[in-house]
Amino acid sequence: MLKINNLNAKIDKKIILNNFSLNINPGEVHAIMGPNGSGKSTLSNILSGKKGYDVTGEILYENKNLFELETEERAHKGIFLAFQYPLEIPGVNTNIFLKTSLNAIRRANGEKELDAIEFLNLVKEKAKNLKFEEEKLNRQLNVGFSGGEKKKNEILQMSILNPKLSILDETDSGLDIDALRIVADGVNSLRKKNNSFLIITHYQRLLDYIKPDFVHVLINGKIIKSGGPELALELEKKGYENFN
Amino acid sequence: MREQLVTDFDKIISDSNFSKKDIELKRISLDKFIEDGFPTKKKEDWKFLDINRAIEKNIGELDFYNDYSFQNKIDTSYFVKGLEHNKIVFINGRIEKIDFKSEDSNKIEIIEESNLSNKFNNINSLINLNNAFANKNYKINVKENYSLKKPLIVYHLTSNKIYKKNINLRLDFKLESNSSLRLIDYFEDDSKDNFINIFYNFDLEKDSSLKNYKIDHKDNKNVKYSFNNIDQKENSISETFILSSGSSFFKNEVNCDLNGKYSSAFVNGIFKLEDFKNHEIKTNINHLTENTKSYQLIKSVLGEGSKAAYQGKISVNSIAQKTDGYQLSKCILLDKTSEFNAKPELEIYADDVKCSHGSASGSLNEDSIFYLMSRGINYEQAKELLINGFLLDVIEKITDSETKNLIKNTLGLKE
Ligand SMILES: Nc1ncnc2c1ncn2[C@@H]1O[C@H](COP(=O)(O)OP(=O)(O)O)[C@@H](O)[C@H]1O
Ligand SMILES: [Mg+2]
Repeated sequence: MLKINNLNAKIDKKIILNNFSLNINPGEVHAIMGPNGSGKSTLSNILSGKKGYDVTGEILYENKNLFELETEERAHKGIFLAFQYPLEIPGVNTNIFLKTSLNAIRRANGEKELDAIEFLNLVKEKAKNLKFEEEKLNRQLNVGFSGGEKKKNEILQMSILNPKLSILDETDSGLDIDALRIVADGVNSLRKKNNSFLIITHYQRLLDYIKPDFVHVLINGKIIKSGGPELALELEKKGYENFN
Repeated sequence: MREQLVTDFDKIISDSNFSKKDIELKRISLDKFIEDGFPTKKKEDWKFLDINRAIEKNIGELDFYNDYSFQNKIDTSYFVKGLEHNKIVFINGRIEKIDFKSEDSNKIEIIEESNLSNKFNNINSLINLNNAFANKNYKINVKENYSLKKPLIVYHLTSNKIYKKNINLRLDFKLESNSSLRLIDYFEDDSKDNFINIFYNFDLEKDSSLKNYKIDHKDNKNVKYSFNNIDQKENSISETFILSSGSSFFKNEVNCDLNGKYSSAFVNGIFKLEDFKNHEIKTNINHLTENTKSYQLIKSVLGEGSKAAYQGKISVNSIAQKTDGYQLSKCILLDKTSEFNAKPELEIYADDVKCSHGSASGSLNEDSIFYLMSRGINYEQAKELLINGFLLDVIEKITDSETKNLIKNTLGLKE
């Protein structure tokens, strides 16, 4: 599904990703763990098509060159990024945004757009599963939402859009244990044969709830070690400083 | 220009039946205009929108005479649909229709004024031009305790029959005590290269309420100036909203004299400009007595080559204690060639007042665009969502819900 070969990324001559390679097959859950500043968000941004990086190397998504796709086309083809810091968008109603987004993706895939009622029914159901207060969806997007609500809103969007490749950039940080469980349930309910996940996290905690197939340790823009779920526990014990 | 002005003026005088006194007053205004000419940017108040140059460059020689002996056919397809309303229809400056069918006829008085007053001499040279050339002067009087059931839409329609013409319009409104009027100025131009000069005077008596919404949305290559003078007595409210978008050049000026205690003035507006348009809103809010309030919010979205300016002045007289004055402008520059100028001015001579002003401009937030695009929304649509979101709070300031919907529809904002 996703093949990253020797990806290098720079901003203003500063190297952020350094010969980064990763291979994700359909249905797999990969976790990337790394200290602050190791390049985790940069990787997520590049996968979603954010501009402003000096990039070399190759990224294949469903065997096609990802760099040829604009950000919105990547979303149409099933890539979803849950942002580490979801943005506040004043004046844009959350429901209208969600509907615009869902219908843009459906349209691009030749599917029928949902009308207002179909959409509201879908949102209702998903919001309920995530224990997301429905009333919040009539507010401006993320404006005045707490940190936890913003993160949940990302997972709500993910569950509505039903992506093939979901990238979760530190979705767990700032969540209390209840919220963490709800978020994990949301992710687990989307785990299917063809859906893949790239879960970026700082702590091992989330991985108690979402069992990854692979764990990678990212330091200074480079994967220094890969393994199974046990690697996360080892990392938790030793800390990043003593890990080599 | 001088000869043109004099011959055109004589033609207008011979066409109409002004009293001797009026003709005299008009001639004084004409002479004053001839002396001053169109305002240039050398004048402080005109430094952002040099109307003299706009006319020279975009129109050239103007013709000041319009033959109003023939009626124009009204194309009713221009009328706003889905909103029952009263109408005044101007076509090419000629008043074609006055219709207050929705109202109690004895509660509204329409007077064709014959006696000009010299109260408005020398406000600026464009008002002098208007005084000299406006061929009719209607006064609309809303009687005591009467609230118009429906809004009044003044249609400012132009057709391609006029070209390189100067048109001067004048309306006077008196809102007697405890009366109210919703007035929408709706501009639809099918002409180009004309200079349209509009002067409204409002007298708001005790407890009256005026809402004036100006909608200039359709693209056109005319130059426009509009001046609202609003005189407010005790506990009266004026709300002005300006959607400044369609014309090549448009300067809207609002002068509010808050003469009565507890009177308040709200001036809000939007500049939505593209293609080298140049617009301005200039306000003068004069707090002349105690306990008066003013509030202003202007939001701008400026595309390639366009320029907008907001000159907002709040003056507080030495006896005007407990004044509350606020103004804010925010701008999104969509292009490096677009420009926004804010010139707030506070002139405060009383000590117990609360006044503030602020201004901010910047470009569209790229991170926000990326966020929206990462959800499958294309760049154009993401931009539109952000712009509409940015404009939402100023639109929400419109207190008349019918007009708010009309303006939302005009801007293509969906619910
Ligand atoms: N826009 C940027 N400009 C300059 N440096 C950046 C920018 N974005 C990230 N960096 C730098 O790149 C490194 C990696 O950042 P990031 O990908 O956000 O790390 P992480 O998400 O792992 O904490 C950091 O040193 C950060 O300062
Ligand atoms: Mg990060």
